[in-house]
Amino acid sequence: MKYALKEILYGRKKYILIELLLILLMFMVLFLSGLASGLGRAVSSAIETMDADSFIVDDSAEQLITVSSVRTSVLDELRAKGIQASPLDIQRMYIIRDGHSEKLNITYFAVEAGSFIEPETIEGTGLAASSARDPILLDDDFKLDGISLGDTVKDPATGLSFTVAGFVDDRMYGHTSVGYITIDSYTRLRQASDPMYEHIPHAIAVKGNADYGFEGNGLEVVPKQKIIEKIPSYTAEHLTITMIVWVLVIISAVIIGIFNYILTLHKQKQFGVMKAIGMKNTELAGMVISEVLIISLFAALISLALTFSMAAAMPEKMPFYLEVPNAVTVTAAFVLISVLSSMLSVINISRIDPMKAIGGGEE
Amino acid sequence: MSDKLLELKDICKSYRDGSGKRVILDKVSLTVGRGEFAAIVGPSGSGKSTFLSVAGLLLTPDSGNVLIGGKDVTDASKSERTMIRRRQLGFIFQSHNLVPYLTTADQLAIVQEKSMREKVKIRELLSELEIDDCRDKFPSMMSGGEKQRTAIARAFINDPDVILADEPTASLDAERGRLAVEMIRNEVRKRNKAAVMVTHDTRVLDLVDVVYRIDGGRLIPEAKSGEI
Repeated sequence: MKYALKEILYGRKKYILIELLLILLMFMVLFLSGLASGLGRAVSSAIETMDADSFIVDDSAEQLITVSSVRTSVLDELRAKGIQASPLDIQRMYIIRDGHSEKLNITYFAVEAGSFIEPETIEGTGLAASSARDPILLDDDFKLDGISLGDTVKDPATGLSFTVAGFVDDRMYGHTSVGYITIDSYTRLRQASDPMYEHIPHAIAVKGNADYGFEGNGLEVVPKQKIIEKIPSYTAEHLTITMIVWVLVIISAVIIGIFNYILTLHKQKQFGVMKAIGMKNTELAGMVISEVLIISLFAALISLALTFSMAAAMPEKMPFYLEVPNAVTVTAAFVLISVLSSMLSVINISRIDPMKAIGGGEE
Repeated sequence: MSDKLLELKDICKSYRDGSGKRVILDKVSLTVGRGEFAAIVGPSGSGKSTFLSVAGLLLTPDSGNVLIGGKDVTDASKSERTMIRRRQLGFIFQSHNLVPYLTTADQLAIVQEKSMREKVKIRELLSELEIDDCRDKFPSMMSGGEKQRTAIARAFINDPDVILADEPTASLDAERGRLAVEMIRNEVRKRNKAAVMVTHDTRVLDLVDVVYRIDGGRLIPEAKSGEI
C-alpha cells in the first residue's frame, strides 16, 4: 500500500487525470442511482414509509390496492384476534387551492384518524386532533404550490373542501403527492357522486405476523414489498434505471482495470527487474491491487461527497433520493469490481519474465 | 556453508534457431569461492548474459548443475528461485534499473528482508557507498554514477553470498565505471563474498581475481590475479 501510494504521488499529474475521469463516472453512477431511488420513491414512498407489514386485498385484484375491496367484517375479525389492522383506501384525484383555478394532482389515502398508518406530521396536527370537519394532511411538496397550513383545498369533482391540518414528509404514490383524509371524508367524497355508496375498504393494512387465516376466502395477504412492486410502472422504471446504474458501475470499474493494465504494460521491464532481484509475484500483485484500491476508493469518496452536495442544492421537486446505505452499496460494488478488474494486470505481471532485467535499455 | 559460494557444473544451454538449435553454453563449468571476484569477457552474442542468467537462476540450464552455497538449486521451484535471488544473490544490471517513483532509501527498503534490517542498516550502507545525501532523492534527481551506486546498494542490502553484475560499467564514464567495480571488489574482500561480473570493459579487469573468456559456448580461463 505504501509503495502504491508513493507511485501515485510521484506520477500525480497522470493519476489526477485518471481520478478525474473516474470521479465523473462515479458521480454519474451515484447521481443516477439517486434519481432511480427518487423515481422509485415518487411511485411508492407513501406505502414504503407506512408503518404496516402486509396488506389484505381481494385475491382477484392482482395485488393492486386501488382495484381491491375487502369486506368490512374482515377488519372486525382481525381486531377481535388482537391484530393491529386498519382500513386503507387509495384514490387518485386532483384538488384546487381555494381562490385558484390550477388543478393539482393528488392521491388520497383514506385512513382511520389516529391509526398506525396515519403518518406523523412535520407541521400542524394529525387528523384526529384537527377540529375541521374534513381535515387533510398533505405531502410537503404541496407547499411548493403555495399551500399553507389552515388553507382550504377543494375537490372540484365533488365540491368537497378540505382544511389543511398538517404536512407530512416524503409521501408519494404513483408520481403524485399524497393527501391523507379520514374514512368519513372519503365516504362523503364518494357519496357526492354516488349517494348509495357505503364504505368498503380497498385494503386492510396489518402490522405483525402475516398468517391471518384469510387465504382462500377470496382474500390474500400480500407483503408490503410485493404491494410496492405491483404499483403501475414501479417495476419497469425501477428495473430500467437500476440496470443503467449497475452497467455504469461495471463500466467505470472496468475502465480502472484497463488503465491499470496499460500502466502495467508500460512497466514490464520494471516488474522484470523487481522479479530478478527477488520480489515475489504476490508482492507485485499487492502493489498493483493497492494502487487500484487507492484510486477507486478516492474516486468513490470524492464522488460521494459531490453527489450529496449536489443533492442538497437540487430543486425539491427533483425526484432525487439517495440513502447512505444505497450509496455505500453502489460505492463498495464499484471498488470491489475495480479490484477484480485489476486481476488482469496481476495475471500479466505473473507472466513477466525476469530475464527482461538482463541486457541494456533504460525504463 | 561451503567455501565454494557459486558452482556451475557442465552447464549446457541452447536456443531454437529457425529449424535448428544454437548452442550458447556447451558444458561450461565455473567455481567462485569466498572472497573471489571473477570477470567474464567475450564478444557480443557469445553467451555472457545467458551464463549470468543461469548463474542468477533466471534461466534453467538444459543440463548441468547450479550450486549456491554448496546446495544444488538446479531443480528449485519458481518460488524457491525467487527467494534465493532475494536472499543469496545480489544483482547489478547494465543500466541502473531503479524504480522511478522510489527514493534511494525506498529502493533498498522494498527488497530488504525483515531479518536483515538489523544487520544491514540502509543509512550505513549508503554512507559506505558515499551516497548518503541521495537517501531521499528519486532516480530522476541523481547523476548516472549515483544511480549505479544506488543499484549496487540495492544488490548488497540483503547481504548476499554471491554478487552478479551484468556490464555494470556500460552506462558510466571510465572513472565512474571503475569506481563501481571497486565497490563490488571492496564488498567481496570486506565481507568475504563471491562475485561474477560480465563485462566488455577491459579497463577494469585489473580489479578482479580471475578473468574468463567465453567463446563458442566454452568458458576459457584467460588470466589470474597478478597476471592481469
